Amino acid sequence: MADIDAAASPRENTRFKDKKGETVISVSGLTPSAARYSRLFDVLVVAAVVTIFAGAIHLHVMLTVGDWDMYVDWKDRQYWPLVMPVSMIMFPAALQAIFWVNFRLPIGATVGATVLLIATWIGRYANWWIWTGFPFTEGVPSQALAGALLMDMTLIVLRNSLFTSIIGGFAFGFVFWPSNYSALAPFYLPVEHQGMVASLADMIGYTFPRSNMPEYLRIIERGTLRTFGSSVSWVSAAFAGFICIFMHQLWWRLGLFASQATFLKNSDVVKSFMGIKSSVAS
Amino acid sequence: MLLKLIKFAAVCVAFIAGVSHAAAHGERAQEPYLRTRTVQFYDVHFSKTDVKVNERFELTGKFRLMQDWPDAVTPPDIVFVSSISPGPTIARIETYLNGEPARQSFARLELGRDYEFRMVLEGRTPGSSHIHPSISIKGSGPLVGPGQWVNISGEAHSFAFPIKTMTGLQIEDLQTFGLVHAVGWHLAWLAVAAAWLSFWLARPLILPRWLVLQKGREDLLISLRDTGAGIIVSAIVLVMVFGGYVRASAEYPYNVPLQSGLNRVAPLPASPAYAEIKIISATYDVPGRSMRLATQITNKGSEPLSIGELTTANIRFLNQSLPVAMANVDPSYPTDLIARTGLKLSSDTPINPGETREVRVEATDAVWELERLVSFLTDVDSKFGGLLLLYAPNGERVIAEMGGPIVPVFTELE
Repeated sequence: MADIDAAASPRENTRFKDKKGETVISVSGLTPSAARYSRLFDVLVVAAVVTIFAGAIHLHVMLTVGDWDMYVDWKDRQYWPLVMPVSMIMFPAALQAIFWVNFRLPIGATVGATVLLIATWIGRYANWWIWTGFPFTEGVPSQALAGALLMDMTLIVLRNSLFTSIIGGFAFGFVFWPSNYSALAPFYLPVEHQGMVASLADMIGYTFPRSNMPEYLRIIERGTLRTFGSSVSWVSAAFAGFICIFMHQLWWRLGLFASQATFLKNSDVVKSFMGIKSSVAS
Repeated sequence: MLLKLIKFAAVCVAFIAGVSHAAAHGERAQEPYLRTRTVQFYDVHFSKTDVKVNERFELTGKFRLMQDWPDAVTPPDIVFVSSISPGPTIARIETYLNGEPARQSFARLELGRDYEFRMVLEGRTPGSSHIHPSISIKGSGPLVGPGQWVNISGEAHSFAFPIKTMTGLQIEDLQTFGLVHAVGWHLAWLAVAAAWLSFWLARPLILPRWLVLQKGREDLLISLRDTGAGIIVSAIVLVMVFGGYVRASAEYPYNVPLQSGLNRVAPLPASPAYAEIKIISATYDVPGRSMRLATQITNKGSEPLSIGELTTANIRFLNQSLPVAMANVDPSYPTDLIARTGLKLSSDTPINPGETREVRVEATDAVWELERLVSFLTDVDSKFGGLLLLYAPNGERVIAEMGGPIVPVFTELE
């Protein structure tokens, strides 16, 4: 840090022609050469973030709420709008904290939701279509981008993690249902099959069998949340928003914890292993 | 180094070349007590074993839920009638249990009773597929019936599944319907996200921002213009979310939620208990691959009864000297599940009405090993189960359940 400061001088930067970028580079104290390398470093960080977090978030969502996201006939109006955002908010909230606290970048949640959606579609294409031959309609995923964008917008406007949890976190959970219903509404068209009503999603799951996925495994409106008639989804959405308030704050803090750089003093034994010290005895 | 790389490449090529297509579903890996003491399939029939893409065929049969249901297996309180295939190589058109539609699960099937299933299936993916009927039980998993190879010919891309909705919409193919709509929305959201990310990624990013922040110049990193952009993007997102929802609700006013709930069905009428079987002793000769039963059979009916078949875990041991038993073998039944040596009996004459006779039954075949059924010797309760099929002179069939403890014998029996 001291070295960088010593090298700092207000010189013209060749990468960022806009005045704001120039000022940031200038105040940062990076030399033009260092600034160019920092841009290369940016590219490497972006590449690392996209690949690592795409895999990590996708794995996390698959492990926690996999079936709800994997199959169109699991996307019910009660549990899907509840469990999906509660799981999906975790990594975006942690990334939001890391990007905001360290770099004042209000993009963490959007980055998380974007790489998740891209990784999910890659998984659907490679695993479900090429490998096992399931039709795309059976594995249409859900997206959390609407909520993630609102979370980032809340952060940049309010610039406070607590209020971002209360407003942005709630918005993340609440808009999951309406923002996904727009995309998936055609799959809830009614059909008659063997004298009974079914949605197209039910029919897709039934027609293209998953051998070890019996119908009874689906968790469809189990419980007594029927007081609100056909408005079950909005109650679930509101409850999801409520839970997401706490999940956001929890994972914000976990993100901060995970992004800390701490150093441990090496003992003589470790130093000797690393060749820093000739031997423990010496 | 080069040599090592070549060796590594050769190993990789050999591995990839050695990978073969998965042909079965692990049905032999199921423990013997699951296969011999839970669901006994019989009269299984494949209407066709060679079909074209889009061509329909039927898989029918019956099953008995064994009275001596293992304690370790959840009772059949929630049951789903299904087929097992290597992925969706077939399409499921209709399923029935005792004539009732079976798209959803059934509640509380009765032990000791018989049920009849019918599945209408359709070829989808060209190739040879091993297809089983299956009874999935909540808490226990799928219990599979006999598997048969079904050859599906034609072109995969020619498969289509048209369907008509209750709103009158004719859908050309269920595999693709609604996909463009969903992908379009996802691309729209990705476009908004990409715009927002580009707005920030175009600026000095990681190191410069961190350094500036360390110097307390946050004002250089977030400006009022950025806040304004955030408010505008928020407005766009909210319009997309709620505008899209209102539009979808208007476009699809008759949508229904996912359908669930359990159906109920009565078992098939109970057949008269004309034959009563008591197991006096049961042994499994490990080196001889032979199950030997000492049974006491009582004919409680009015017709003489001949022992025709012992079936368990989909394997059939037939009394080859009884024509009516041999005639009961469906040509579509998998031949690998029919024991070549058949069933040996100490007494082959019919058991007269009212008579109680001790009969030694011997079922010897390598199929015990091939089907991995001998591991019942390692079960905690070491019991077996099965159905004995007996025939009257008029061809009437009596199905009797039997089972009990079994003792392994590791040396040659006398």
